[in-house]
Amino acid sequence: MTSRLQKFAGMLGLVILSAAIAAPAGAQSKLQEVLGRGKLIVGTGSTNPPWHFKDEKGELVGYDIDIAKVIAKGLFNDETKIEFVTQASDARIPNITTGKVDITCQFMTVTAARAQQVAFTIPYYREGVGLLLLKGGKYADYEALKAAGGKVTISVLQNVYAETMVHKALPEAKVDQYDSVDLIYQALNSGRADAAATDASSLRWFIKQNPGRYQDSGYGWEPQTYSCAVRQGDPDWINFVNIALREALTGVEFDTYKASFEKWFGETPPAPKIGFPSELR
Amino acid sequence: MDYFLHELWISRFALAEGFLRTIEISALSITLGTLAGLLIGIALTYGRLPLRLVSRAYVDIIRGTPVLVLVLACFYMPSVFRVSLEALTAGVLALTLFCAAHMAEILRGALAAIPPGQTEAARSIGLTFPKILAYVLLPQALRAILPTWINTGAELVKASTLVSIIGVGELLLKTQEIVGRNFLTLDFYLVAGLLYLIVNYSIERLGKTIERRVTQP
Repeated sequence: MTSRLQKFAGMLGLVILSAAIAAPAGAQSKLQEVLGRGKLIVGTGSTNPPWHFKDEKGELVGYDIDIAKVIAKGLFNDETKIEFVTQASDARIPNITTGKVDITCQFMTVTAARAQQVAFTIPYYREGVGLLLLKGGKYADYEALKAAGGKVTISVLQNVYAETMVHKALPEAKVDQYDSVDLIYQALNSGRADAAATDASSLRWFIKQNPGRYQDSGYGWEPQTYSCAVRQGDPDWINFVNIALREALTGVEFDTYKASFEKWFGETPPAPKIGFPSELR
Repeated sequence: MDYFLHELWISRFALAEGFLRTIEISALSITLGTLAGLLIGIALTYGRLPLRLVSRAYVDIIRGTPVLVLVLACFYMPSVFRVSLEALTAGVLALTLFCAAHMAEILRGALAAIPPGQTEAARSIGLTFPKILAYVLLPQALRAILPTWINTGAELVKASTLVSIIGVGELLLKTQEIVGRNFLTLDFYLVAGLLYLIVNYSIERLGKTIERRVTQP
């Protein structure tokens, strides 16, 4: 008798708990919830330029921040109606699934495994690894580095995969690993390395911060796609976000998007071609 | 060096904000944790069996859990029950729970060290239990736990860095934000280290002063 009662109580507890976890917040869409609240709650980081970082005035800026502003503008026609929630990279998924944020835009790499837990929006950047060179240095571009074979030294941030990663692009190069980002740039400056391998976005940002001193080798590899992410099971919400993003990348908000892309990556994104919408080709 | 000083000047407000936030978090959780810890410590020593068991379970579970796990649990677990705690609240809650468990155990030890003859003597002159506690036991126990309490306070200031992972802008996170912008890794972590040292040194001095004043020959 007792055991059956206990079993029943246990089952009941389990059902309540799983209902509490699984049930979406009421029947209404996140879209209505956000509109009703009057501000968008965005999860992002604060320590990684040019994605999301505090500028000299202490304000949160970056490409991720601009993307979030595009969405807020779409919602309220006012890009300032945002509350940013600072989160560590490993808090990105839990903060979405527990509903602490409406959306996360934090250089989140799209993987199939993550897509099982959260819903990804359309991509807004493709990250890769690039090679930073000194302007007017010994090697002019990737071809020159590759031709030099074992004579080149590449500085890279310390990482288990660092050597393999560099060797994918330059199979014979010597790889020097350093503890921090500033050191890989210093190795390049001091001539201890012929090129520095780092994320294409960081590289572009660094070139832009130091005009006239560095250049890109023109080669990128190890692609990964960046998207914002939202909670699963809410088609209206993800559809809205996707439309807002798509129209920034290809439609009415393109000028805002272009200005942001130029600001953070020092490069102009390809303009959408007028006429037939090319993404439907 | 000039570049560092320039960056330090630019970052002064961010650093000050983080520093104050760290002090706020630490002060709040030390105060609340100490008060709760004293009550639990008394329950642990003199409570009836069920109360004693509950207190014992609390103290053992919390003390056996890493603070990092406590911080994450306080931030995420309430949302299972539809209660959404803000990062700061969750952080202070986690540190308070941690502090309370330690204080409870420290107080229990101090109370147990007082010879039982004193309680018996107090009872024989007709003091009620609350009075025995207030006039006989606690004055001695609190003196005895003072050094350990100060130590717990300093530990808590250091543990407050852990709430940065749930996005509370305390000193460590502010420092990381500054380093993220200017890459002056070593320099700014040194600055942060110095600031933590200042806080903990002050706590230690304060503790020594109180100790001197309350010690009886």
